[in-house]
Amino acid sequence: MIEWFSNIQWEHLYNPQLAWDSLPFLLEGLRITMIISLFSMFFALILGIFIGIARMSKFWFLRIPARIYISFMRGTPLLVFIFILYYGLPVIGVQFNSAVVAGIVGISLNFAAYNAEVVRSAIMSVPRGQWEAASSLQMGYVQTMQRIIIPQATRIALPPTFNIFMDVVKGTSLASVITVQELLYSSRVVAGRTYDSMTMYITAALIYWVVCIVIGHFQERLEKRYNRYLSRR
Amino acid sequence: MNGVKNMIEVKNLKKQFDEVTVLESIDFTVEKGDVVCLIGPSGSGKTTLLRCLNLLETPNAGSITISDKTVSFDNRKGLSKKEVKELRSFSGMVFQGFHLFPHKTVMENIIEAPLIVKKQDKKKLTAEGERLLTKVGMLEHRDKYPDSLSGGQQQRAAIARALMMNPEVMLFDEPTSALDPQLVGEVLRVIEELAKEGQTMVIVTHEMNFARRIADKILFMDGGYILESGPPAEVLENPKEARTREFLQLLDE
Repeated sequence: MIEWFSNIQWEHLYNPQLAWDSLPFLLEGLRITMIISLFSMFFALILGIFIGIARMSKFWFLRIPARIYISFMRGTPLLVFIFILYYGLPVIGVQFNSAVVAGIVGISLNFAAYNAEVVRSAIMSVPRGQWEAASSLQMGYVQTMQRIIIPQATRIALPPTFNIFMDVVKGTSLASVITVQELLYSSRVVAGRTYDSMTMYITAALIYWVVCIVIGHFQERLEKRYNRYLSRR
Repeated sequence: MNGVKNMIEVKNLKKQFDEVTVLESIDFTVEKGDVVCLIGPSGSGKTTLLRCLNLLETPNAGSITISDKTVSFDNRKGLSKKEVKELRSFSGMVFQGFHLFPHKTVMENIIEAPLIVKKQDKKKLTAEGERLLTKVGMLEHRDKYPDSLSGGQQQRAAIARALMMNPEVMLFDEPTSALDPQLVGEVLRVIEELAKEGQTMVIVTHEMNFARRIADKILFMDGGYILESGPPAEVLENPKEARTREFLQLLDE
């Protein structure tokens, strides 16, 4: 124990100067990370809403494919899926002209499945009485969905959706293995050059953390807005 | 049509859930301006019957006429949306659990359906809304969200919401069963007020004193049948059926 403690290379544990000097380079990586994150979450949300609603459809030809899709995406690692897209698809002549695009496609398609489940559970958790009240007032399916159910489901879906958003941001690091020069990739470049892995990866971790704090702050503000009609809290 | 006076005419209505029969050949009529109270033990089918009138449940056989619209359920797989909407347009429903829209204020709640379904003018609706909220004693709460209201206040707002659609018949499904005892009175008073104005109503209730005061006709249900019907003085004071007597006795204890 004492031996282990005295052998720690304190000067390599964290080198603030190196972190500071490489910050501009890392932030360039962060820019790519954010581009992938925002596009991926955007597409994953839109796709997720459609898949989630299809999953609840009374038509089997919508419900069954949605179910299989969700099952596959939830049941396979994102990294494997990205490999299939980037290294596998060229076999059948589909080639992404940039790794960034492959990353966005992979992450969007994968996280759409999680969003679909959030959409489904949020809609299902709006009490049945809301549907009944609306239909006794002669409101139709689309009107009820639009004006009564979705506004309430959105409130319920906010926290899990923001969880997914954070997972998306962190998941973009997987794109580094298909040579996308995002935050993790940039950190690894510097770490390889300086042999100071600890400093670089801790810095990368801190940057991811800050991004997620900002996202969490945004979530809080949205939740407050959507909770304003509840008397408690 | 059958007689000018009948507002509701139910003929040979049957309802099954899977294998279980909940309503068995139900026949009754409600005259315009009448208040009919449905009483009976839980599981007797009274709530299901009321929900059938609003087509929240689809009966398996028989027919329902409200105002001048008849829907027959014999040999039918499903009803057309138009048919459902048309029959529903004659009745307003008040639920045991209120079911106000929590994300809308009281005023937004009550103008929502006429605004969206009937596409009526918002200004006029707001004026009409104020009139009805005054009537149910809720005007001062017009801009509050349901979550900040008591159960009695929510139910009174829900009554105003149903009235906003100008229904010929008001249907009440145990309107005070979810309320704290001290809040029951304020809701019953609103319903009695409506009765005085000649509003046709069908009310599922366990409040026997209320039923005695307000009803023109009492229907006693048990096991999916209407066992006994007549004016309160008959059914509540001098029941013919042993089951009715038994039920009333249990309530007295």
